[in-house]
Amino acid sequence: MRAALAVETLKLRRATAPRVAGLAVVLGVPTVTTGFIAAAEAAPTSQLALKVAPMLVGEGWEAQLAMVGQILSVAMLLSAGVVAAWVYGREHVDGTIGGLYAVPVRRREVAVAKAVVLVAWGVLVLLATLAVSLAAGAALGHGGLDDAATVALGRAVLVGLLTVLLALPVGTAAHLLRGYLPGIGVLLAVVVVTQVVTVAGAGAWFPYAAPGMWAGMGGPELAEAVLPVQLALPAPVALGGVLLAAGWSERAEVR
Amino acid sequence: MSAQDVVLEARGVTRSFGAEVAVEDLDLTVRAGEVHALVGLNGAGKTTLMRLLLGMLRCDSGTTCLRDGDAGLVDVRRLRPPAWASVGHLVETPFTYAELTVLETVRCAARLHGLTAAEAGPASQQIIGALALDHWSGRRTGTLSLGNRQRVGLASAMVHRPGLLVLDEPSNALDPAGVLVVRREILDAAGRGAAVLVSSHHLDEVARIADRITVLHRGQVVGTLPPDGADLERAFFAMVYGAEADGHLELPGDPAGPRRT
Repeated sequence: MRAALAVETLKLRRATAPRVAGLAVVLGVPTVTTGFIAAAEAAPTSQLALKVAPMLVGEGWEAQLAMVGQILSVAMLLSAGVVAAWVYGREHVDGTIGGLYAVPVRRREVAVAKAVVLVAWGVLVLLATLAVSLAAGAALGHGGLDDAATVALGRAVLVGLLTVLLALPVGTAAHLLRGYLPGIGVLLAVVVVTQVVTVAGAGAWFPYAAPGMWAGMGGPELAEAVLPVQLALPAPVALGGVLLAAGWSERAEVR
Repeated sequence: MSAQDVVLEARGVTRSFGAEVAVEDLDLTVRAGEVHALVGLNGAGKTTLMRLLLGMLRCDSGTTCLRDGDAGLVDVRRLRPPAWASVGHLVETPFTYAELTVLETVRCAARLHGLTAAEAGPASQQIIGALALDHWSGRRTGTLSLGNRQRVGLASAMVHRPGLLVLDEPSNALDPAGVLVVRREILDAAGRGAAVLVSSHHLDEVARIADRITVLHRGQVVGTLPPDGADLERAFFAMVYGAEADGHLELPGDPAGPRRT
């Protein structure tokens, strides 16, 4: 497992795709958050302000960090999902999958190592995003974090982590479908289905919708209605995805 | 040569893709210290056979076996993972990641082939030097020419000094100097006791390195060629034509033919 981890870590560190996708979240989420709030405050009757209003909870730090959590639930899924699709799918597209056969490192170890480095990448991106968000809030003069802001920060952390986990099955899809583009197709389908399921009212039982709803994407009332068991669903979904990828790696033939 | 020398074996192997029979009831052995060459036209089944031997594909019937120390020849589908540490291979696509440098790529291959982090560095430097890749050692493989990527793929296959080498068209895309370098490395490997299975379209190249030459056609062994025989090309085509039911095969004419007669 150590060899597989070393190889996968090096590949992820050197590649452009994870760097760009990570930076998009680290810089994009705080920028969009700050911009939305600033636009809503500057022109409360504007179209943008009216759309942003349901996402706003409290003011100052609480408003900013609550919105960071909401935007993370979408941005992190898209970003981590693209990276996961690339990490698994590129071996098939680049033809390097053959090099993972007939070696003493088992292919299921490689599949698990890919998931481990993806989660590590996601955690780093999440921490950097929150650091930039906190720096932005401090620059805006929000002052110290009160209890409500601390709760919003904790919620953003958990939403980010759950969303990273939810990206792992996208990698599994890319692996099984032998390419990153099919994986990204599955990711887009998941995003659409999440919207449909949420509108249909069954959102919190759909693992891909629960974190966003809990973050407040559907408003404070829906957020409070999310049960802990619903919030825990991404963990078995992620685990199932990784186990499926690992098991399939052992059985699959080279094409 | 004794049965103990056999490192890799195909026994009655058949594999189809839909209605297309890629390999049919094929027997083959590769012995320690020999270079066994597979020659055949495109689509003859060389790559499929190599993939079957390496466990990348499953046999419809028959088995492919690899020697695993005292356990003898073991079906590759049931082989202990550590036993693969004695195998190096390059089948179709070189093991190169565009974002990694040549040195990083070969180090990764070394780790996957079972070398420790401490062993991987010196072993990678050694094989990079042997394959005349030093100049490009710090270059990302994505920026290399096709020929140099092929050399990196060969370095990745050989970095751990395997006891069995399976190389599919190893001189693909190589310049004449690269062909010489690879030829030397293959002969060195066989000289230190490694079994080498190599496929090629180039009969003259095969004649220079092979101890045995097996001709594949339409997924079957249709004969063997003597490596030191005269006019291998004529013998090869005679064998291939002979394997056709009506003795006829659509092939392009030889533009060099009239001048040779």
